[in-house]
Amino acid sequence: MVGAVAYTPNVVPIWEGMRDYFADTGSEMDFVLFSNYGRQVDALLAGTIDVAWNTNLAWVRTVAQTDGQCRALAMRDTDTVFKTVFVTRSGGGLDGLDSLEGRRLALGSQDSAQAAILPVYFLDHEGPGAESVELVRINSDVGKHGDTGRSELDALRAVLDETADAAAIGINTWESIGREELMPGAFEAFWESPTYSHCNFSALPQVPEERTGPWLEHLLAMDWDNPDHRPILELEGLRQWVSPQLDGYASLFEAVKEQRIPARW
Amino acid sequence: MVNHGLVLDLVERVGAVARHGTVSVPLGMGDPEELGATVEAWCARTGNELVDVEGGVATVRKGRSPDPIAELPADMVPGTRLWMYTNFDCNLACDYCCVRSSPQTARRALGADRVRQLATEAVDAGVSELILTGGEPFLLPDIDELVAACTAVLPTTLLTNGMLFRGRRLEALRRMDRNRLALQISLDSATAEQHDEHRGAGSWDKAVAGIHIAREEGFRVRVAATLPYEQSHQLAPFHAFLDSLGVAPEDQVIRALAHRGVADHGIELTLESLIPEVTVTADGVYWHPVSADHEDQLVTHDIFPLQDAITEVRRRFTEIRARSTAAAQWFPCA
Repeated sequence: MVGAVAYTPNVVPIWEGMRDYFADTGSEMDFVLFSNYGRQVDALLAGTIDVAWNTNLAWVRTVAQTDGQCRALAMRDTDTVFKTVFVTRSGGGLDGLDSLEGRRLALGSQDSAQAAILPVYFLDHEGPGAESVELVRINSDVGKHGDTGRSELDALRAVLDETADAAAIGINTWESIGREELMPGAFEAFWESPTYSHCNFSALPQVPEERTGPWLEHLLAMDWDNPDHRPILELEGLRQWVSPQLDGYASLFEAVKEQRIPARW
Repeated sequence: MVNHGLVLDLVERVGAVARHGTVSVPLGMGDPEELGATVEAWCARTGNELVDVEGGVATVRKGRSPDPIAELPADMVPGTRLWMYTNFDCNLACDYCCVRSSPQTARRALGADRVRQLATEAVDAGVSELILTGGEPFLLPDIDELVAACTAVLPTTLLTNGMLFRGRRLEALRRMDRNRLALQISLDSATAEQHDEHRGAGSWDKAVAGIHIAREEGFRVRVAATLPYEQSHQLAPFHAFLDSLGVAPEDQVIRALAHRGVADHGIELTLESLIPEVTVTADGVYWHPVSADHEDQLVTHDIFPLQDAITEVRRRFTEIRARSTAAAQWFPCA
């Protein structure tokens, strides 16, 4: 039983497609949809679900609540190269994190790693320090860890409306608005973070590898060039499932600790 | 001033609808052409479909419309088979004829030259089977030439009532290529009564005799029955009879009576409900053989080039299916 958070109506066809893909394989699966990652992780810990499709923050909190007794099974290829992008109005004159000192930075939902937690971390470690920047927090869709992208779009609107000088958004949102190319004169990126890891399939040790192994093997066999698999991969935003890159979570573990973000909420 | 928030609105609104659902996004302030181009570019980049831009509002579909042609079984893709109405006159006047054929109907022959050109172009257009029908094709003095032009290039089926296999027409039949031609003979029932009621007294006996002759001459024979929809579940005696004539089970074809032509009842067949079968008559290209005498399903008067006609049928089919899908989505519950 796999848990996922319903952040768009398309979550239903994605997981129905996944269920069909696993049908008659010897590692059949079904799914449960949650309204937020907090309750999904609760369900994972309680054994209601065997595997959770977790964001990076949900993974960090799962690790914290299990003292590390959990496993990441797989992630999307796109999850291994996630980034945060700092953008401003074209010609806004910002050229790096230090240039944000004394300026207003719009952040997305407080539980979004890419649009709130890690931007503060990057300001502290690679910029002037978050305390020297006026943070404009836009907490829409809290509970979904920024999956809807709405708070990031609202952060961009704040920049257009000149209630913020810059916004921190995920690379996926930056791509979805066409980077600088579709709206000439609107936005430009002035700093991109190092890559970090995003979502993964998380499981507890109670689910033995004899069960997760065949499921994982079949998952990794999904093929972009197979017309039956392609729609699911497109909707879920990947070309290939890959083995997890746990090193990519180091910055978020550190950020959660520094910002004293609780392990459960 | 350009509405820079437009792309943000697109991302948010399109992201919130289910795959294949549509959403309307106001273009906002700015040059409508420039904004429309921005929406088009965003859709192309993100794999969504711009349905239209009208009245300052863009309608966008999440993802792309499913291709209705790709969803059809390969043998049902329009243009896989090419139907040709060789003529419209007939020795019978069946009371359900979908194209109003009778002895009084004008011939409107397609002619050997056009049949030959169609057969040639059909090969290049990817057609895999030719089907000749009428009217009654065996009324044509050059039917064997027409059939030869077809069988020379593709497997062919010739529809007939099977009643005219004697004299010069039998000789014409004997000149046809047994390896490339199947005959499809109309027979509606296992006994004469029902068949003759619709097709004329004595016609059942002659059709059955025709089946025997065609089989004795070495032709593959299909038998096609036209039955009212309500009788389509009472077929066991008919199949048993056809078995007794030696007609293979896969060659026993049952068609529902259509409310077309001179039929005063039957199932309604429209562009929306019919998967097209490209059909050429002397008057033009039609959606389906059942509607080859009806303006509402005329696709074009231009028979040539055949590839263009097939392309146009496929385009209209895709458009009609997309419209039907959209209409189904719009249908309100209250």
